[in-house]
Amino acid sequence: MALLEARRVTKVFGGLVAVSAVDLSVGERTVASLIGPNGAGKTTFFNCLTGLYRPEEGEIRFNGQPMIGLRPDQIVAAGMARTYQNIRLFGSMTVLENILVGQHVRLRSTPLGAIFQTPFTRREEEQAERRARELLAFVGLSGKGDLTARNLPYGDQRLLEVARALGSSPRMLLLDEPAAGMNPRETDGMLRLIRRLRDELEMTILLIEHDMKVVMSISDQVTVLDYGKKIAEGQPAAVRSDPLVIEAYLGSGMLEGHSKLT
Amino acid sequence: MGMLAARHGLRTGALAFVLLTYLTLIGLPGRLADLAMPVLAGVAAIFFWLVLRRNPQLGGIYGSLGGTALWAGLLAGGFYAVLTAFFAGLLANGVRVQLVFDKIVPQNLAALYAVMPGALLSGELSPVGWLRQVGLLGLAGVAAALLVAGERWLRRRELPPLAALRWLPLLLPFVLLAAVIGLGSPAVTFGGNNQGTIRLLLAMLAVGSGIFAARAVRPGGARRVLWALLAAALVGLPFLLDQFQNSVMGIVFIFVMMGLGLNIVVGFAGLLDLGYVAFFAIGAYVYAFLAAPFSSPWLIAQLQGWGLPVSGPLVSFWLALPLTMVAAGLGGLLLGIPVLRLRGDYLAIVTLGFGEIIRLFMLNLAELTNGPRGLLNIAPPTVGGYSLGNPRDIFLLALAGAALIALVANRLDGSRLGRAWVAMREDEDVAQATGIHLVYTKLMAFAIGALFAGLAGQLYAARQTNIFPENFSLFVSIDALSLVIVGGMGSIPGVVLGALALKGLPEVLRGVDEYRIVTFAALLVIMMIVRPQGILPSLRRGRELQEQGGSRADQPSVLETLPDNAGGSPLAQKER
Repeated sequence: MALLEARRVTKVFGGLVAVSAVDLSVGERTVASLIGPNGAGKTTFFNCLTGLYRPEEGEIRFNGQPMIGLRPDQIVAAGMARTYQNIRLFGSMTVLENILVGQHVRLRSTPLGAIFQTPFTRREEEQAERRARELLAFVGLSGKGDLTARNLPYGDQRLLEVARALGSSPRMLLLDEPAAGMNPRETDGMLRLIRRLRDELEMTILLIEHDMKVVMSISDQVTVLDYGKKIAEGQPAAVRSDPLVIEAYLGSGMLEGHSKLT
Repeated sequence: MGMLAARHGLRTGALAFVLLTYLTLIGLPGRLADLAMPVLAGVAAIFFWLVLRRNPQLGGIYGSLGGTALWAGLLAGGFYAVLTAFFAGLLANGVRVQLVFDKIVPQNLAALYAVMPGALLSGELSPVGWLRQVGLLGLAGVAAALLVAGERWLRRRELPPLAALRWLPLLLPFVLLAAVIGLGSPAVTFGGNNQGTIRLLLAMLAVGSGIFAARAVRPGGARRVLWALLAAALVGLPFLLDQFQNSVMGIVFIFVMMGLGLNIVVGFAGLLDLGYVAFFAIGAYVYAFLAAPFSSPWLIAQLQGWGLPVSGPLVSFWLALPLTMVAAGLGGLLLGIPVLRLRGDYLAIVTLGFGEIIRLFMLNLAELTNGPRGLLNIAPPTVGGYSLGNPRDIFLLALAGAALIALVANRLDGSRLGRAWVAMREDEDVAQATGIHLVYTKLMAFAIGALFAGLAGQLYAARQTNIFPENFSLFVSIDALSLVIVGGMGSIPGVVLGALALKGLPEVLRGVDEYRIVTFAALLVIMMIVRPQGILPSLRRGRELQEQGGSRADQPSVLETLPDNAGGSPLAQKER
């Protein structure tokens, strides 16, 4: 039984079918990648999965539970957390506070508890802070907890987004172009982090990525979208040589050109 | 130096001239009599100093620093001398300038030349008077330059005594308080009495500097001692002031209570509320219904129907507290639910309307609220038969209320809910996708903010004894919002400073009353230009600005420094 099961998910904006009847299933503790040219509907699909958009048709099941119609915060509570293509941290908060916000759904303290500083609230806040520091250490940002998120280096901001997502103790992470804008060394670091997420934290990962080195080296399964439709799916090697995929990326009649997929 | 000094000097001098003109137009020189010019020069010197020290580009007392200061002083003096000569000429020729600028009277202007008003009217002014103005302001410039140079010298040397000197500003609130005591208590201070006004100003400065001092000390034993001393001084303050001063401070702190509530809605949660007065009005009216039911025709009928007495208050001030809080909190929810989906400008417009709706209810539901005739003879709070209705006790109650609200607001700020508020303010969509329940979080902000305003409203009704719908106009909302912005959005101590500046200062400058709206506007404009983050920004904001000095965004990521790798290509920067 796959952890995430999406069936015939369709999202329409006016006359534009951004995502058209896409099926996707991601098994537990695997890394699945979603690729496709710009505008193929990858991020829209992500937004449907995480509840930011409500698909017009289709079914999304996570851990056997239907997800469509749930609010984004309920979906996070169910165990799906995500990062963003254009980093969207809470810029004025500290690094640590960002992760504490990530833990929001797992915390139980109430406003009254905070006002009267009940033992439960104090204990929970202490534990939350300790966990936040653990997560910081896991992504390699130890000692940067008190900096303002906005002032972190670009690559660190990406790491912090991952740590914030981990704050909600998800079973599945959705990473939207985690290596975008990174140099090769930073990309390698991100690759290692993704592997550790799967191996050490037993996380299931779905990622959107343009960097084929990342996609090909890490994915157990690759799904290709083009114009909102799924055009290919399978092992990385099989997808790479699929003529439909090459055509989607380079256009028909361009097969003799440089292959972008290497 | 040359051009740089001339350019900076011209700008600084022109600004100082505007400041001096303003002080003259509000009639300050007349109050200072013969000391007018030296005091104005002192004000100018402080202004020059503040401007010059912000500009590290300017170097050397004999270089651009000294040049700028001298230019600024002489230009300000020159402009000022021309302006005063112009007014003096008009007055000497019998032109009634007073019709336009009501403080430009012989007495006021003569003070600038240190002559008698008669001499001014008969045109007996010597050029020495103007040269004195130019000279004094020139000296002010030189003094400011020396001050800046001295300051830099001390900083460069990092002398050990300087570290000890850091403690000196912490004494300021206590020095000011001592001055308040030293001035004694003049019998009547309402209106013109200078000493009483200065006393009020000193008291307000003491509170303001106390807030700065409280924030300046690092956590630890020293801070606890300082905080205890400051708290003791604050509690003692009402006993040092007279009726008028206490009543001003009372209203200031009622606005602090209100501002702290609005600060949660606007500062923490980022929901722009322009109708905040509604909750203040609900608090005041609910307490008025309970404490003065005999003012409301409908309530009289009801009470008589139940066979209850209608002559006195239904419940005491203290029993009414939870009721007004609940009523105001419900009002917050009532406003919150329909505006859940609105953001930014749309939210502002709807809340604006809500504030007006509540006021119009108060005005037109005459059966219940007695309409424009208002609710009268509202009972003051009592303790064991002793009435706490006098200004001193109201001030004490407002202090207690503000302290309590500040404590609650502070604890909420650092809590799970507080983080959710800030996250929501930063990015509503991401906050929700990170697991924050937006409906709950927004409604909590509206309800808690409203609850605080309700408390403030109850105390306000008790202070006023009689309340009318026009007490709760849009301007109260604007005042509250302005003080939050001036103090520093999201900053709890900032609210106190904002309230002192916006509600207290106009009372000190009673003579400025005609210019009050202009003063507010000018203050807001200047604030937003010079210090957009507010007088005392929240720690979060302050931290952000501090770090931006040496921005880290272009430093390598930790991903970069992981060991096993050989790819030596340069860091591919991507701007967001």
